[in-house]
Formats: sequence, C-alpha cells, structure tokens
Amino acid sequence: MSARSWGPADGPLGPLDQALRDCAAARFSGELHVIGAPGGMICLADGAVSAIETPWSPSPEVILLRSGRVTSADWEAAFTAATVARGRLSDELVTRGLVGAGELEAVLRTALADAMFAFAAGFVDTCRAEAGTPDFEMPLTPGAEADGLVAEALRRMEVLADFPGPPLHARARVTAAPRAAARRETTPDDGHDGALALIDGRRTIRDLAFARGRGLYVTTLEVARMRGNGLIAVPAADGQHPGDEDGDPQRKAAAVGPTAAGLPRRHKDRPAQPKRTGDADGRSLPAVLRLLRPRADGGPQAPRTVLTSNELGGM
Amino acid sequence: MGTSLQEALHQVLAAEGVRTVALIDIASGMVVRFVGEPNPGLATAAVSLADEARAARGLLGPRPGGDLEEIAAVTDSGLHLSRVLLDKPGEGFLLFVDVDRARANIALASLRVGQFAPAVLA
Repeated sequence: MSARSWGPADGPLGPLDQALRDCAAARFSGELHVIGAPGGMICLADGAVSAIETPWSPSPEVILLRSGRVTSADWEAAFTAATVARGRLSDELVTRGLVGAGELEAVLRTALADAMFAFAAGFVDTCRAEAGTPDFEMPLTPGAEADGLVAEALRRMEVLADFPGPPLHARARVTAAPRAAARRETTPDDGHDGALALIDGRRTIRDLAFARGRGLYVTTLEVARMRGNGLIAVPAADGQHPGDEDGDPQRKAAAVGPTAAGLPRRHKDRPAQPKRTGDADGRSLPAVLRLLRPRADGGPQAPRTVLTSNELGGM
Repeated sequence: MGTSLQEALHQVLAAEGVRTVALIDIASGMVVRFVGEPNPGLATAAVSLADEARAARGLLGPRPGGDLEEIAAVTDSGLHLSRVLLDKPGEGFLLFVDVDRARANIALASLRVGQFAPAVLA
C-alpha cells in the first residue's frame, strides 16, 4: 500500500477507525493524514502508531515543558545535541538524565491516547495514507497498537457523556463562576486550583490543556467536574450564558457581588458609559468643591490649591 | 522488541506470586502498559483505582507527610497493590500489582513492590 484514501463514514472516528485497521493489517509505514476538525497526522511504523500530531492535543514536548518536568534550557541543550549528532531527541533526553526511559515511554503513550481522543471528540471527514519514512523527534518505538488507542478514545467519550449538561467542546471558552473565587480562599487545593487560576473567560478547554501541559481529555474531564460543582460555566453553543438559560434562581442569586476575579460586577441594566453628572451624587458644584478643601481636623490630605466656586465663576 | 517500561514491569512480575502488573495513568485512568495474565476487568479496575487515588489525595490534602503512597485491597484469593509513582507530569502513575495470596506473603509482596517501584519510570 503506497497511497490510499478513506471517505466519510459513520461513527465517532469516521473513516479513521477503518483506516487504522487497514494500515495495521498491511503493516503500513508512513503518514496517515486525518482531514477534519481537528485535522492531524498519524505516523505509522509497521502498522503501529508511533506519533500523532493534532492541534487540539498537547504534544509530548508541550507536556514535558509546560508541566515543568524538563526545563526549557535543558530541552534546548538536548535538542541541539541531538541535532548535531543526528540522533533522536528522546534518546538525548534519557541519556542526559532529564527524564527516565520508562517515564518518557509512559508520557508518549498517554500523549498518543490523548491525540486519538481529540480526533474522536472532533470530526473526521476523510483519511489519506502516504507511504514513507516520517521523521518525528520523539516517536514511540515500537509503536502502540491502533485498536487499543481507538478503544481508549471511545472509553473516554463514554466517560464524558455520563456527565450531566451539554457536551463539552474543545473550543468552548470557560468562565469561572463567582463562587470559585470564594472557594479558593476558603478551601484547600483539591487539584482544581491550577485550572481555575488560568480560567479567564477567553481560554478554551484546548487552551487550558496546552497552558498546563496536560491532556485534552484530562482537562475536559476536570472542566466537566468543575462545571458539576458550579465552579465554572461553559457558554452554550449559541453564546448564551448557561446560568441564564436554565433559570435556576440559585445561580442567578450567585451572580450578585464581585466577580471571580474580585472586580465589580457589570449589570445588564448598567450603561456602558458612566452618566455625565454635573452634580455628583445630587450635590451642587460648590458643595463638591467644599469637599476638596483641606480639613482642619487633619483628615485626608487635599490638594493645596483649591478653586472656590467664586473663583470658578470669575474664570 | 521490549521497551524499558515493559522490562521494568516484567521485573516486578518475576516476584513470587505476582500475576499481573500494570502502569496506570492517574489523571485519565488509562492502562498505559501491562504484563502478565490478561485480565478483562483491568481497564475498569484501572479507572476505579485512579479515582480512588485522586479521592484519597483530596482527603489527605497538602499536609506534610500526607502524600498517598499505596492503596491495598485484600480479597480471599488475592492482593491488589497500587503504588503511587510521583514523577510528574500530570498526576503521576500507579503501579498496579495483582498478587496471588496463596503464593505470596502480603507484607513481603508489598515490600518487594516498594523496592521495584522506583525503577519502573527510571
């Protein structure tokens, strides 16, 4: 098999499931291009999966660096040495003692499973296999069996499907609920604090995974748990805030007071621009100016030069 | 061709009475690798063990010396040891070992697993 394509098919993985089975049966070596959302590329060696690239799932490099397991300086030194020696980066990392061989294999395997889950969580339209010798920096050698990765991806989809609420999408933006800030101050870290600190309303689930160097599935699972605990909100597909759509009075009551970031809450009936007030808080201008005068009782320091209302009137 | 991870798991498997050895990702509950007798319930058990490890960690909290080290489950025929391997990234891994009680001493098995554990991710 030098080149072959698979058209659209039913199932969570579309034609990818069949493509992987055919490649395994033919002991195919080369690249299997996945066209869809997310797209990606699967590196196959003798029919087994040795590497996967997809923009929704952090690569082993991202996992090791963002988690702090390997520092950037050490990584760059190992990368340079591997490039000069025309060796593999994974071998260089192990040789330098930056990561254990067993640990690296475990990271590579979990990264492959996560990338396969990303395909299952998205949409696969078509697949195209091209024979060759793909050049990856950190391939899993020997590769992982594709059917095992597919089974794991489907198991993960079932786990997430058991959570109440609408399905979570990798590109859904996550917002911290008001009670999250209070909870962080009063309760010990139960593992959610790292994610909560990064949730700013702009980051998607996929962004959180990359920012923390954790898998897309693990991050989605954590988001699902936090949503179940009322710590976060994930806007519905139409952009409507879920707290508004279910009419839950408790949730609406929670939308009073400061935001999770501690900032004053902006209410819907509050105009975007402050009112132009010639008389602040109903006070006349002379009354306001009197407030700015230095106080004889040693109160707060006021400006040394204060124009009186008469002086203003004479200007 | 075996890998270093597979070889390390085989070393644990070579201990007296050990039937199955598996490496479990705590964050996802995935069986990363296993050796020994195929066990159809291993995948389900892995998810439960990972949940249990997370729950125990949450219960223990961040107090000094409160890190979870091992989860042991004893049945009339077997001993299930799950040793926490704390190497980052993620939430770490569990070294799961299924021991035949008829062929091994529980305390000795736990000691041997503890001795082998650091070499698994090395």
